[in-house]
Amino acid sequence: MFYDLNVPWSPNDRELQRTIAFLDELGYDVVALTHTLSGKLPAEISCPIPASLPFHTPNSLCLLRRCTLILADTSQNHRIAQIAAAYDILAIRPTDEKTLKQACETLDCEIISIDLTQRLAAHFKFKMLSQAIARGVRFEICYSPGILAVDSSARRNLIGNVTQLIRATRGRGLVISSEAKIALGCRAPADVINLASVWGLGQERGKEAICKEARSVVVTAQLKRTSYRGVVDVVYGGEKPMATPNKGAQGKAEAQKKRKASAITTNGNDGGEKESPKPPSKSDLQRQEKRARFESQKGTGTDIGKDSKIAEDQENTVSTSNVAVQIEN
Amino acid sequence: MVRVKHRYLLVSLLYPCASSSVAAKEPLPDVIHFHQPSSDQLTVPFLLRVIRDSVAELFGDYGAGVVSTSLQIKYLSPATSTAIIRTPRAHYQLVWAALTFISSLPKPMNQSCVVRVVRVSGTIRKSEEEVIRRAKDIIARAQRPGVNEGVVGDILKAVGRTGGRREEDVMAVMDEEYDENDYSDSES
Repeated sequence: MFYDLNVPWSPNDRELQRTIAFLDELGYDVVALTHTLSGKLPAEISCPIPASLPFHTPNSLCLLRRCTLILADTSQNHRIAQIAAAYDILAIRPTDEKTLKQACETLDCEIISIDLTQRLAAHFKFKMLSQAIARGVRFEICYSPGILAVDSSARRNLIGNVTQLIRATRGRGLVISSEAKIALGCRAPADVINLASVWGLGQERGKEAICKEARSVVVTAQLKRTSYRGVVDVVYGGEKPMATPNKGAQGKAEAQKKRKASAITTNGNDGGEKESPKPPSKSDLQRQEKRARFESQKGTGTDIGKDSKIAEDQENTVSTSNVAVQIEN
Repeated sequence: MVRVKHRYLLVSLLYPCASSSVAAKEPLPDVIHFHQPSSDQLTVPFLLRVIRDSVAELFGDYGAGVVSTSLQIKYLSPATSTAIIRTPRAHYQLVWAALTFISSLPKPMNQSCVVRVVRVSGTIRKSEEEVIRRAKDIIARAQRPGVNEGVVGDILKAVGRTGGRREEDVMAVMDEEYDENDYSDSES
């Protein structure tokens, strides 16, 4: 599986169909369409990218919707949670060192995408970047602006900044994507990997950047949005096929619905018991255990029924018999 | 006598942008459009010049000098838009990166173009086999445009296989094992 997590989207873009078809031809499997937000945010945030594009897209290609938020000011309230809920992937593009620091340390996003074609004022610091990587945030390298650059300074800056970024991150937590506005800026995965290895990333790391790391971005983003506490996700809850949770391609409403549904399925498993919608906390479980032990110590025949009921109860809450559980680290 | 070692890059030229001359009434399928034949102006000296210029632009005099000793175009077919390029083994990555940075073919052709490296091999024979295999593959796909669409596509998608595309088809295969022992093509 090969990922290209940055294809700029704009309304009435006639070039987009060709770009998507070309990416499919080159062998990519997942493509994220990017909508860029900058300046003052609108009051009502909703994703303008339609769920199904107005033209034919290749069947084998999975399309995601991503938002790139340009961060110009640290003091502004960016309503990150609201934006994140409206899109499949949230990327942040810091413009200076302060915003980069903020993005690395606190902001809850999936990708930090720095504009590498500009000359950056400060060096990257491993301490700062490693904080972001430890949180599971990936750094993005966009190669297409360098390939399509008319003047050589953009290309020089790109190469210089990429080598700096590789040095500072020690090759970890990088994602390579195209950011190709036209189909001409896309390159095949093998070419991209070779380019990365010429830039000093190494063949293996280069492949990871386009496969494994990019996949982990997609999966964590999906888990953050649909799963229960980012750990357990219902892949298939036994519903009718129409309502099967899809690859996060639906909008926010669906995601919320799903979240509720998943919470209910994990809690009360068609046993018909009336439980609180919250799953039992650790102390609850301990209390239940204690009670069970107490009951068993009493050890008379009359109490066995109740005892086993509690055990069954626990089983219902902990194991999920007809729910596929997906656990990601 | 130590043999001079080479790498053979099998490249295919893709044309992602709509050409103004072929403003056909009905648009071609994308597969055929991207793999369209090159014009007759694509000749061996022309392509060699394009590659040399690109290497020189990206890696300067050092790159051009290091590469020039054995850069050669062994095979060029404008009809299928494929070529086999011989490069020195120690520096094939420079040539490859330079090819990646080509986004248009200059003056006589004036066409935007993406160069994709399909295979890297130590002998020319393996490259030739791959050329034939790829050409057959593309013809088959052009004749059956709807393989991945419709009911069959849905089924393949459900099974988790998208039209039988494997990772080897996407990645440029590199064969290393033919380096040392194969003397069959040690000409020049």
